[in-house]
Amino acid sequence: MRSNRMGWGLLAPTLIILGIFGLLPFFYVIYVGFFDWNVFSAEVGRQFAGADNYRRLVFDEEFLGSVGRTLLFAFCVVTIEMILGFLLAQTLVRDFPGKAVFRTIYALPIMIAPIAVGATWKLLTIPGFGLLPYYLDKWFGIEYQLGSHSGQAFWTTVVMDVWHWTPFVTLTMLAGLTAIPKEPLEQAQVDGANRFQVLRFLTIPMMMPVIITTLFIRIMDALRVMDEVFLLTGGGPANATRYIGILIWRVVFPQTNYGYGSAMSLLVLYMTLVLAFLLFSVLSRVGKQNTSEK
Amino acid sequence: MGKKRSNLGLIGTYILWTMMSIFTLLPIYWMVVVSARSRVELFSPGKFWQTTFYAQNYTNPLTSPAFQRYIANSLIIATSNALLVITLALFATYALSRWKLNGADNIFFWTITNRMAPAAAFILPLFLLFTRAFKLGDFMMFDTRIGLILLYCVFNLPFAIWLLKGIIDGIPIELDEAALVDGAGRWTILYRVILPLAAPGLAIAGILCWMFAWNEYLFAAALTSTRARTITTGLAEFVTVTGTNWGEMAAVATISLLPALIFLVFVQKYIVMGLTFGAVKE
Amino acid sequence: MRKQSRSISLVIGILVIFSMLFTACAAPVAPAAAPAADVAAAPAEPAAGALDPMTLVSDPAWWATAAEPYKGVTITGISESTPPSRYAAEVLGPAFTALTGINVNFEVTSWDEMYNKPIKDMEAGTGIYDFVYIEQDIIYSYLARDFMTNLTQLLADNPQLKSADFDLSKFTSFIDNFKDADGNVYGIPMEAFIKPYLYRMDLFTDPAIMEAFKAEYGYDLAPATTHEQYMDIAKFFTKYGEDNGLELWGTTNQAHTGHASSTYEYFETVAPTFGIFNWGINMDTWKACEANGGSMNSQTAKDALQWRVDLLQYSPPESTASTWDEVAATFAAGRAAQGFVYGENTVWIALDPDRSQVVGKVGVALPPLSDGVMAQIESGEGYIGYYDGGAFGVPSTSKNKEAALLWEQFIGLESVQPAWAIAGSRIVMESTYDDPMIQEANAKADNYYTKMKEEGPLYRGAPPFPFHNQVRGAIDPFIWKALAGDMSAADALDQACVVAEETMMQLGYGE
Repeated sequence: MRSNRMGWGLLAPTLIILGIFGLLPFFYVIYVGFFDWNVFSAEVGRQFAGADNYRRLVFDEEFLGSVGRTLLFAFCVVTIEMILGFLLAQTLVRDFPGKAVFRTIYALPIMIAPIAVGATWKLLTIPGFGLLPYYLDKWFGIEYQLGSHSGQAFWTTVVMDVWHWTPFVTLTMLAGLTAIPKEPLEQAQVDGANRFQVLRFLTIPMMMPVIITTLFIRIMDALRVMDEVFLLTGGGPANATRYIGILIWRVVFPQTNYGYGSAMSLLVLYMTLVLAFLLFSVLSRVGKQNTSEK
Repeated sequence: MGKKRSNLGLIGTYILWTMMSIFTLLPIYWMVVVSARSRVELFSPGKFWQTTFYAQNYTNPLTSPAFQRYIANSLIIATSNALLVITLALFATYALSRWKLNGADNIFFWTITNRMAPAAAFILPLFLLFTRAFKLGDFMMFDTRIGLILLYCVFNLPFAIWLLKGIIDGIPIELDEAALVDGAGRWTILYRVILPLAAPGLAIAGILCWMFAWNEYLFAAALTSTRARTITTGLAEFVTVTGTNWGEMAAVATISLLPALIFLVFVQKYIVMGLTFGAVKE
Repeated sequence: MRKQSRSISLVIGILVIFSMLFTACAAPVAPAAAPAADVAAAPAEPAAGALDPMTLVSDPAWWATAAEPYKGVTITGISESTPPSRYAAEVLGPAFTALTGINVNFEVTSWDEMYNKPIKDMEAGTGIYDFVYIEQDIIYSYLARDFMTNLTQLLADNPQLKSADFDLSKFTSFIDNFKDADGNVYGIPMEAFIKPYLYRMDLFTDPAIMEAFKAEYGYDLAPATTHEQYMDIAKFFTKYGEDNGLELWGTTNQAHTGHASSTYEYFETVAPTFGIFNWGINMDTWKACEANGGSMNSQTAKDALQWRVDLLQYSPPESTASTWDEVAATFAAGRAAQGFVYGENTVWIALDPDRSQVVGKVGVALPPLSDGVMAQIESGEGYIGYYDGGAFGVPSTSKNKEAALLWEQFIGLESVQPAWAIAGSRIVMESTYDDPMIQEANAKADNYYTKMKEEGPLYRGAPPFPFHNQVRGAIDPFIWKALAGDMSAADALDQACVVAEETMMQLGYGE
């Protein structure tokens, strides 16, 4: 209806920045992924290796195991965070005295740097001066040692992530809940729909864009979780919490294997994309169905 | 009866939120406790209440000029980044929402991939970009604040656009048209119509972008040296061979939380405005 | 009305959080305690600014003249955030600037970044860093890639930059680690320590404890000289702690199951005392498995790792989350009766009441050994433990090599050493041992410095691998699995040696 020039003009600065700082490095990583490049190999510099890195990756147990663990981790945290976040946001729509206090306290963890979150939870969980091991032992007789028990380490990282990011989910959900029109909801209640029906057939479909956005952001970030787990367990015990971000960091930096690490990144990216695409199609279909039913 | 039910609901809400608050505060409380302990007091987990305060954990970093610079850098980088991102994101979402721009959606699909890929592998190309490509005589983007400000856009912009898209789409196009009929230009519409209506969304997006920039560690550690170093990078300095200085580290973590906290309390009002958003729209 | 209640709850929210943040200082004891701590801590701080650069050199004018062409230049360096490096950054840097007009931009950072950043810089040829910290174990990797400048050559090429006060022969033999086959120097040592066996002198000399120990084990309680004794002592004190309700265990254990430090403790500290040197890698063929001529998975190596895993039951619960720092903190908190602790910590653990609860109770000894290992050590085939440290070198890619050369000489002056040694408990020059300040600390720390001087030759730096971090990184997970109990020590080493060989081959070492 109007000239597109202004539209592209408004979009231009965004595209330029994303192009230079986002796409260029991305292409470089693709390029490096085809080389055998370790700083300290006997043969200096990078050697073209074709798809060798990828061939190696498919059989790399360390890598595959790490991908599996990361998926499990992401599944656990995202499920818990989405459900909990959505329900908590529901309770915040209504006004009640003291809401601001609770909300301020509750939003605190989002403000903390992942690396400081790792430090905080480390302080909480180190045997000897942490609260958790002391009271778990005193009250329940549980021996809580993150460095020795894989299961404890895994679930601690899950709880830590839930602690850190559920407030974020709640905030975006709240933003969405307050943005959707109120009349249909009120009308439905007047018409005798119960709360669950309102939620299922009105709120959730209307919230679909927000839910999808939040879900994607959380999945993406959960899949690349790194700083806080790195500080808490270093990926240990052994490889129990060595999620893909930590594994790649170890390959790229301490082991200076730039080529292999780049290939690993790309493969992970590819898998994330496929996952995102699948989820996207499923969710938007569900969303459409819901609206059309209505 | 309805009243009774809502009272019960209120009590339930309070119980729920009290529990959530305890869960949220416990790790933070312990961090503050540790920040008040000297090294010889550290190994006393049974002491839940702290009665002494070892001020040195705070005064040491706070009086160090280097550390003051880290705080200033973090503040400047995070604030500039947040402002830049929400401005550009407002333009971009408005453009995407009101014009039919062929291919634009695909572009975003590709740029969002930056948030999907594990970060470590991207450090090398960014390092080369910062030291080789953006080089003018003695100036290079490595170890500058502007470098980090622009880089964080890559992570924050797609995120902010995603977050705002739904909100801008929800602003009826009739409002634009009405303003156009009244003779307003596009900029005026953006400023007078869209901005106020999208403000709560922008605020939330801005806060989250600010947090991301304030909290980012990996790239800040790799792409700065001494001049543009941020507070999170400073935090990692405390983990050393000669005994991690847990007390001081906890103190710095607490300090790093404070500006964010003040910021949060300050903009809380703005988010609260978001709750009346639906009413404003009518 | 509604708005008002909202702002009230907002204020309450702020108050709650702030009061939470400062519960700590609410107690009346606080004002009294804080100043006292200040006074006590003061001497431990590096005496910043106390250094007068003009008194450190015999001819200040020469430095000014030599530095004339580089006046106003900024040299950038990077090191780990440790007391010796911090001293160099905060005290020596400004003193050097006052003397020469050359600015020193000194970046102190975490251990990981201390490697990552200069390696990227040198590999890309960017030239950001003019001097970098070279940890003793990475020098061979750097030399294999020609990353470092030959300082001997640089001095010879620039005679006008050679200070009369600077003399390479004054360094301890530690400097040999930074020389190539022809004796050229690539780094000026800035710190060096040994990793000795520390024990709690007060416990080991307590008559009641000694008697109880003898009754149980049939021999006198003394610092262990064999691994069996070490295990006995660990077991004894763990039980002693339990019986007496003390937070005390038998030994420290640097056994973090997600950090390289636990691999280091095995290869540097435990394996050599069993007679496994150079990580069990055959350096002629670059093979690690016994079947191929290595010894990484030999029975002895497996025994050594098993010994270490067994010790975990007598170690404090934090051990599997302990890197080198937490081990020092554990020992300083009085939670272990004995242990292997990096030497840079020995002096503060023995002396600094602000950080340590075992002041004056620290004994220093040689690690326990298997039969016949001492002979191997004395013949020069092996070593008893790790001689750790680092140097500042100039990357080949530096654009300010001459200015950096002046800095390298400045930190290598004999006159700057004693105060630096006190600040960072590191010694790189023979003469520093005789300094009165060092002698005083030495006497209080069970003669740690004397032992470092006399027994130092028994210790050695890391083996000359050009692939140090790469192979260690490949082995790490197996050591972690063994320590976490996910895998037996024997299986872990059997698999580790295969992966080590694969990694070496990928890097082009060995067939």
